[in-house]
Order: sequence, then C-alpha cells, then structure tokens
Amino acid sequence: MKGSIVLGTLALLGLMGALLFVTINEVDRMRTAEAAYAARAVETGALEFESRCRSCHGPQGKGTPLAPALNTAALFDGSRLAAAGYAGTVDDFVRGTISAGRPVPSAGTNYPQRMPTWGERFGGPLRDDQVDALVSFVMNWEDRATAEATAAPELPAGEAVGTDITQTLPEGDAGRGQTLAEGPLGCAACHTLSTVGPAWAGEGATPGIGARAAARLDEPGYGGAATTAEQYLLESVVETNTYLVAGFEANIMPGTFGARLTPQDAAHLIAYMLTFN
Amino acid sequence: MAIFRLHLPFLDEVKVKGVKTAVKNKVDDVVTRITTGMNPTDVRMLLRDDPVGRPNPRLKPHTESFWFHIKPTYYNQLMDGFYPTFRLGWLSTYFFVFEIVTGIYLMIFYTPSPVVAYENMRNILSNVPFGDLMRDLHKLGAEAMVAVVALHMLRTFVTGSYKKPRQFTWLTGIILLGVTLFLSFSGYLLPWDQLSLWAVTIGASMVEAFPPQIVGTTLNLIVRGAPEFGAGGLLRFYLLHVVLLPAVGVIALSVHYYKVVIHGHSLPPEAEAVGEDTAKRIPMEQRVYFMPKIITRELFYVTGLTGLMILLTALIYNAPPLEAHADSLLTPLHITSPWYFLWLQGLLKIGDKVLWGVIIPTGLIGMILLLPYFEVGPSRRYGARRIGLSAAAMSVAALAVLSFMGSPWYKVTSSPDQEAVAALAPQTHPGPLREAPWDQLAFGTYRARQWDAAPTPALQALLQLFDEELIKAVGPEQRDAEAIMIVEDWQTDLKKITLRVLWTNPDGSPYEFSQSVYLHRDSEYGG
Repeated sequence: MKGSIVLGTLALLGLMGALLFVTINEVDRMRTAEAAYAARAVETGALEFESRCRSCHGPQGKGTPLAPALNTAALFDGSRLAAAGYAGTVDDFVRGTISAGRPVPSAGTNYPQRMPTWGERFGGPLRDDQVDALVSFVMNWEDRATAEATAAPELPAGEAVGTDITQTLPEGDAGRGQTLAEGPLGCAACHTLSTVGPAWAGEGATPGIGARAAARLDEPGYGGAATTAEQYLLESVVETNTYLVAGFEANIMPGTFGARLTPQDAAHLIAYMLTFN
Repeated sequence: MAIFRLHLPFLDEVKVKGVKTAVKNKVDDVVTRITTGMNPTDVRMLLRDDPVGRPNPRLKPHTESFWFHIKPTYYNQLMDGFYPTFRLGWLSTYFFVFEIVTGIYLMIFYTPSPVVAYENMRNILSNVPFGDLMRDLHKLGAEAMVAVVALHMLRTFVTGSYKKPRQFTWLTGIILLGVTLFLSFSGYLLPWDQLSLWAVTIGASMVEAFPPQIVGTTLNLIVRGAPEFGAGGLLRFYLLHVVLLPAVGVIALSVHYYKVVIHGHSLPPEAEAVGEDTAKRIPMEQRVYFMPKIITRELFYVTGLTGLMILLTALIYNAPPLEAHADSLLTPLHITSPWYFLWLQGLLKIGDKVLWGVIIPTGLIGMILLLPYFEVGPSRRYGARRIGLSAAAMSVAALAVLSFMGSPWYKVTSSPDQEAVAALAPQTHPGPLREAPWDQLAFGTYRARQWDAAPTPALQALLQLFDEELIKAVGPEQRDAEAIMIVEDWQTDLKKITLRVLWTNPDGSPYEFSQSVYLHRDSEYGG
C-alpha cells in the first residue's frame, strides 16, 4: 500500500510537472504560432495573386496598362488614398477594393476596365479568408516599395535629360521604350484611351502619336519650339505645358519627367512613340 | 419578534462538550458524510491497508454513494492481473471521459459555421492558452480511443466473453465501437480545412451509394445537409459530434457497464468448467476488495496516464497541422480517409460501390452485432474454438490488407509530373519543401539531375528527392524527363519556388507542368 501511495503521489507530481512545462512555453508558442499563421496568409495570398491578379496588375504588382501598380510607394504613403478621397487605412482600402471592386475610376486614372468585385458577399469568387490573405500579401510589399522610392531619387542634373529639346539624344530602341512606358514610367496608364491624356495608338481616323507628332509642327495653333517630330515628343514629355492638345487641360501630365529620365531612356521612349503611326 | 432566527447546532455542542470535542465530532461527521460512511479512523486504516473488521465500513460507499455503487465491491483475484482484460475496457472509459473534458475546452472557442470555423481553429492554435495542447490531446485521445476500443472488442472475442450470459453486453459494446468510430469521423470535419473536408467526403460518399438511388440521394441530403458539404453539413456533423453521439455513448456505456457489474467480469476461459459461469461466485480467499487496492490503482492510472498524454503531446505528438481552408472545388491529390476507415476505402477500390461500399460492410457489421446470438458453442476454451479464433486472425489480417489497399500506395494512378511535384510539395500535409530550412533555399535555377551541384545541403536533398521521384514516376520509357526547381526572391521574407517538369511527348511535342509554392520565413511548417 505504501508503494501505491508513493507511486500515485509521483504520478500526480509528474502530471503537474508536465502541465507546468507546457505553461512555461505557452506564451512563446502562441507568439510563434500567430506569426506563423500571418506568414502562411502571405503565402496563400501570393498564390491567389498569381492566379487572379497578376494578369492585370503584373506578376510583381508593378502595374500594367490594364491596372495600376500595387507594389509602389504611392499605395503606402497615402497619396493614392488621398487621390481616391479615402479616409480609412491602407489595409482597409486594399481589402475594400479587392472585396467590393471599383464601380467608378479614380480621378486621374484611365484604365480600360474597372476593378471587378472579388469578395463572395459582393458577388465575387473569394471567401473572406482568401481576401484577407490577398491583403496580407499586398501589404507585405510596403517595406520594399517604400525603400525603392526613397532609394531612387531624381537623377542628378548632369545625368537627367533636362528640358532642352534641341539636344542630340543617343540612339533609341523602341522595344525598351515600350518596357519603360508600360512599366516603371507608367505612361500607358493614361495614354491608352483618350480619357486622361491623348491615346498613343491611332483611333479611327486619327493616326497614332508618331504620325501626329510630325503633322503637329505644321498646325497653325502650334506654339512650341520643336522643329522635328522627335523634338516635339521630347517637348511634350519634359515641357508638358508648352503646348496643350485641344481638349486637355494643363498640369494633368506630371512635369517631372525631365528630371527623372536619362537621355538614353528618353530616346527609347521617343523611338517607341514613333512606332505608332 | 425576530423575523429570521439563526440556529447553529454546532454552538450548542460547543457549550455542552467544549470546543475540542465538538470540533473533533464535527470533523468526524463531515468526513463520514463525504465518504458516505467512513469516519477518519476508517479512512486512515484504509490508506494503511490495515485488516478490516466486521461490519466492513469500506463497503458502505458501495451502497450509499452514487459514484461507488456502480463499482463492484470486490474483484476476483484472477482478474487482478494484466491478463485477461489488459485493462482495455477501463482504458476505453478513461478515454471517453478524457475526450469529453478536452472537447468541452475546445467547444468554448469554436463555432460550427464555414464562415468562421477555420478562423476559430487558427485562433485556438495561436491565440488560446493551452489551445494547441487541448487540440493535440483531443486528437491523440481520439486515435488512442479507437485503437483501445477495437482491441477491447478483439480481446472479448478471443476470450469468448461474449458468450451466454453476456450477449447483450457484447451488443452494447459493438454500439459503443460504432459510436467511437463515428465520433472520430464526425470530429474530423470540424477544423474545416482541406484534409477534413475531403477525408470526410470519401466516407460520406458511401451513403450516396445506398440503393436504390432515391434512398441514397435522400440519405446523402440528410447527412450532408445539401448535395455537397457546406454550412448545413458542418452544423450537422458538429451536432452529431457534441450532442447525439455522446448522448448515445453515455447511454450505451451505462448499460454496458451495468451489465458488466451484474454478470461480473468474465474469468479467464481456462479458470472455469466448460459451460459454467462462475464470475459472480468469488470465494472469500480470492476476493480483491475495491477499497483500497483497486481504487488507489485506478487513481494512479488516471494521474499517470493523463501526465503521460500531456508529456507526449508536449514533446512528441503533434496533431496534423491545419491545412488550407476547405474548398469543395479543389480536390487535393492523394486524399485518404482517417486510418481507421482505410479498410473501407480499400473495399471501395475492389469494385462496385453498392456491393463493396454498402452491402458488404453493412452485412459484416450486422454479423458482428448479432454474433453471440448465433455463435452459441458452450466452450470458451481456446482449444475448442479453433474456427472462431482462426476467423478472428483472418479478419485482422484482412483489415490490415484492406487498409493498405485503401492507402494511396495501392492502385492510385495520376500523372507522373504531378506525382513528382507532390512528393516535394504535397497537397495534404506540409511535406519536405515547406519543412526545409528557409534560409537554405538559395536563389537560383537548379536541375534536379545535377542535385549535387546545389549550394546548400537542404537544396541538394530536395533536388535529389525530386530527381528520384521523377524517375520513379515517369518509368523507364520517359528518360528525357527533366525536373527543374527555381527559387526567386519575391517579397520581404517571401520566396517563390517553382517546380517544373518537362518532357517530350511520344508525338514529339514538348510537355511542361509547373507549380509554384510560396514560402515565408516565419511560416514554421518544420515545427
């Protein structure tokens, strides 16, 4: 009987010891598990993004002519929220946009289609947890997008193309110009339809931007300094308010491209624009 | 006139007998009430295992207390050892209670709705103190319970304890086995991840096969609440799991236990003459009294076993990690039912769903249920039951073979490209790629065939596995198949791993299959 009592007491102590062991590690375990589930949500979001979002927003969320960039500082520094007149947080903005879509375009944008609804309760295919995972994935761009923006300041004066349209530019490559226009420069966002800026491609009887540039010089209303089509295009990019195409207002086109482009990039861009006839 | 008069008899006692005597008497009284009939001296003698006089005060609780009246006063010495019960019936009861306790803890944090069930699970596992422990305990307890109850049935068969007068005890036992299996099965669905949805779907699909078709369709609607699992099905399985099955279990267990006490524990077959049942006639010198020997031992079992279960879950056992959210449109590769239903999945692979999935299992269960009513041979001796024992051995072997046939290793064909990729990144559990050390997944493009050129040991191991699995999957006629793994930097702390399989089709056209897996630094699949 003594043996049984000793054994029983030991078992009870063992049980309490085991519980104590779990208790000691519990806070750490919960913290790790929480981080792990947050991390797995990013993974799930990445898969969803690959299958549902990349075709319009680009594989790395850098934007395409069809949809704006998400992997960009503008989304996280509040400027896009301000442009949309949105008063909530970035997180809510992203969640709301994914779930409910965008019935009307934001000011200053000109995408061919509106963002569709993705959330199940708005008629889309995604459950709440999938939308949440997508939000986690998009929000995970914040660090890099912000760092990229601060790490790439405007080019120093000597290296930027500036506003002198008579300078001789190096040889340009239309293919690389297209990459620039549809990628980091974002030209395609506004110059695909003629809602915000004139479309580059020809529409109906109107020829493309390349042909229009050459014809522009002889138009009576033209008040700029360009003497060739190339100069006219460079002027339009770097001296945006010198000549305004009829029907478009001043200051819609950002005036900073003279400081952002190298002469080589400007040449690529112009070569690309000249391919639209 | 006082409206309310307080009268404490204890104070009168103090006045008459003095404080010391009054307190001593009061303590005696309280202890005697709690133990339903044993005063402190009796308890002390019980703990010392002193010889007991007559009338035996240790028998009082058996007549007066609820909890002890269901326990026998004494056991036969022959039943005191490990053989012939192996404590399996006791263990089944232990796990039944164990599952109720851990289950109630989990119930507090769970809502049976597809909208939040999965989120609740994540919360239990990451934000509820002891949530992970309780889930692991509940799962481990459930698996142990299935095994213990099944072994208990096997033991009862082998020792012939189902024979007269214990036929009905056997029948309630089979009901309890069914309750155990269905408790486990219905609990499987509740986490509402891919594994639970699809494992349960396999089982539930058998209901649909029930002939004629109108019956099958209706039964399927009743079980799943809709043609497919959804809000209705989850709620039904939850209610089965926490209300109906436990209720049936408690009732069947009560009857079962009552019958065990009424008929006595059946003795080892060789201990009594053929055709006799002497379980209730225990000679004085063969009695082992419940108090103190059995009760101390059972208390020791409960504490020791519970401590062991906690240590096991804290150190070794982990319930399967939560998979992706349940998705009825996305069938994962190689989904299997829980191990205790693999034999059924094996049966289904043999042939016709109606014959092998409904008629044969129903027939078998009916036969087992009614076994003691048609197997009426009088002898419980092993030597006299060669046919029965051989049948039992063959059934166990058949279960093992069928379980193997139910596993993905038997007669499951899918395309070799998917097989090779699934070997690294399976769809039903984390697998080697997700469990690999994240830091060792160096950026670059790697060919599996040149695995030894990879820069880190983890990558080498993964690529070697990829290569072996591809060769295994494509067979000798597809020697030009190539496996490629690409690791890219995708986001902060996020890598994209693309697994690609390429080959040339027999008609000369190129073939490519590719699947990407994203891995975050903190996702902790490894543990």
